[in-house]
Amino acid sequence: MGNAAFREIATIEAVSFDELSGVVAVDAHNWLYRYLTTTVRFTSSDVYTTEDGTEVANLVGVVQGLGKFFENDLVPVFVFDGGVTELKAEEVDDRREQRETYEQQLEDEREDADATRIAQLESRTQRLTDVIHETTRELLDHLDVPVVEAPAEGEAQAAHMARNGGVDYVGSEDYDTLLLGAPVTLRKLTSSGNLERMDFQATLEAHDLTWEQLVDVGILCGTDFNDGVDGIGPKTAVKKIHEHGDLWSVLEAEDAYVDRGDAIRSLFLNPDVTDDYSVDTDVSPDIDAARDYLTEWEIPHSAVERGLERIEDATAQTGLDEFF
Amino acid sequence: MFTAIVSSGTLLAALDSVSVLVDECKIRLDEDGATIRAIDPASAGMVDLRLEADAFESYETDGETIGVNLTRLEDIAGMANADDLINLTLEEKTRKLQIQIDGLEYTLALIDPDSIRQEPDLPDLDLPATIAIEGRDIDRAVTAADMVSDHIALGVNDAEEFFYVDAEGDTDDVHFELDRDELISLSAGDAHSLFSLDYLKEMNKAIPKDAEVTVDLGDEFPVNLQFEIAEGNGSVTYVLAPRIQGN
Repeated sequence: MGNAAFREIATIEAVSFDELSGVVAVDAHNWLYRYLTTTVRFTSSDVYTTEDGTEVANLVGVVQGLGKFFENDLVPVFVFDGGVTELKAEEVDDRREQRETYEQQLEDEREDADATRIAQLESRTQRLTDVIHETTRELLDHLDVPVVEAPAEGEAQAAHMARNGGVDYVGSEDYDTLLLGAPVTLRKLTSSGNLERMDFQATLEAHDLTWEQLVDVGILCGTDFNDGVDGIGPKTAVKKIHEHGDLWSVLEAEDAYVDRGDAIRSLFLNPDVTDDYSVDTDVSPDIDAARDYLTEWEIPHSAVERGLERIEDATAQTGLDEFF
Repeated sequence: MFTAIVSSGTLLAALDSVSVLVDECKIRLDEDGATIRAIDPASAGMVDLRLEADAFESYETDGETIGVNLTRLEDIAGMANADDLINLTLEEKTRKLQIQIDGLEYTLALIDPDSIRQEPDLPDLDLPATIAIEGRDIDRAVTAADMVSDHIALGVNDAEEFFYVDAEGDTDDVHFELDRDELISLSAGDAHSLFSLDYLKEMNKAIPKDAEVTVDLGDEFPVNLQFEIAEGNGSVTYVLAPRIQGN
């Protein structure tokens, strides 16, 4: 999620995969959700539904999505959310409500609607079920892809790892990574074509802001944790922060109020993260084990074979350091 | 202090052999000559280059380490005609490299050596098989293999004493075999390893066709490729890590 309007003030440039290499901490939920919805949209539901009706479109999505990293000299580290931050609970509730609306629509329209409409609604009703969580981790384990469990928000943990040099980039479609101080965020990892490179330091410099002030700008125009002040978009927010100095002075001048502003601020500046993680970025996937696992979940060979081959091919190159 | 005069051909051959793997590198200059050692970003390929002081028309230094953008330096050196001499001088104060080619003066900003990836140690591999082969035979093997596949197997048959190259494509295959008589020399031992053609193609570009290339091979081990440049006053060693052999 995050506030998409933030794009207006973020320093973003198109970048090709060729220019990048290193380790990218991927906001796992964000990534998985995108592959889940695309898979569901473009794949017949028979492919990802087991005989007893369990949907594991994630397994197809993960196999399709991983090759891209390895083929481009990027090692992904998937960072999973821990508990939901209390303040975000409202946002999560909203999304659940929205999904239930779509589910109802899907039920109402299933008989009459055409296949495209059904696919669209199906993709909107996806959620990350326990089975999806469990099977994704197990598949990643077979493929030797490192996983980190965040104490709270995955993207906060990913940003923390990037700030400490544990990884080179954060991978997310969410503009919040900027507020979390992630030095470089790679966007559009899930799309075809060029990536976008969002630069934290350059964004601060472009608007002559400190990190705290950038977070205040974020809060003024709305985050996952608050609605923002009516009529204030990112550019106005920057102007007002320059004028008044910080969130509180702006709120006072605007006679506006943000519930638990302090707490929201510290969610970005001092989030609940851990240094207690280790990642082995020397990835050697057990393709046969992964294939067997997918078969266990009744995924047809044809849906994943090309993806597995891509992963196998891209990870077959050894490093000289293994021979020293 | 560093000042030298070198033929454009020698300088380009040296730079080309490194730039196939990295975009920037450290050049260590001591009284005996220049050395560059670098490893590519994926840590799969390494180059170790040595250019003796004798490879230069004149050469003087009291020991320096400089960081250079290879693409930029190659572009400048490329401005010279084949037998032009290139004059290189390190400006002490500005830490820039002054390059003079037949009236053309170019001042090249250097890169802080500390910002360049640390030079790797040369692995001590003790590989079982060694052959010496002409550069043009490597070129033939690589070019043919590239027509059918992305990777290439290099091997030595110990019992029958021949060196072979295999490339398997989806539909077509390439096999190339050279026995003791067709090679410059062969010290046989069982060896078979698979390599990425992306790397070998690049390395092949830097190998002169008439060079004598010493190739050390092992079983699923890196390959060493070593050859001379600058009429014997310089040498290049490549080390390339293998690919894991599927199935």
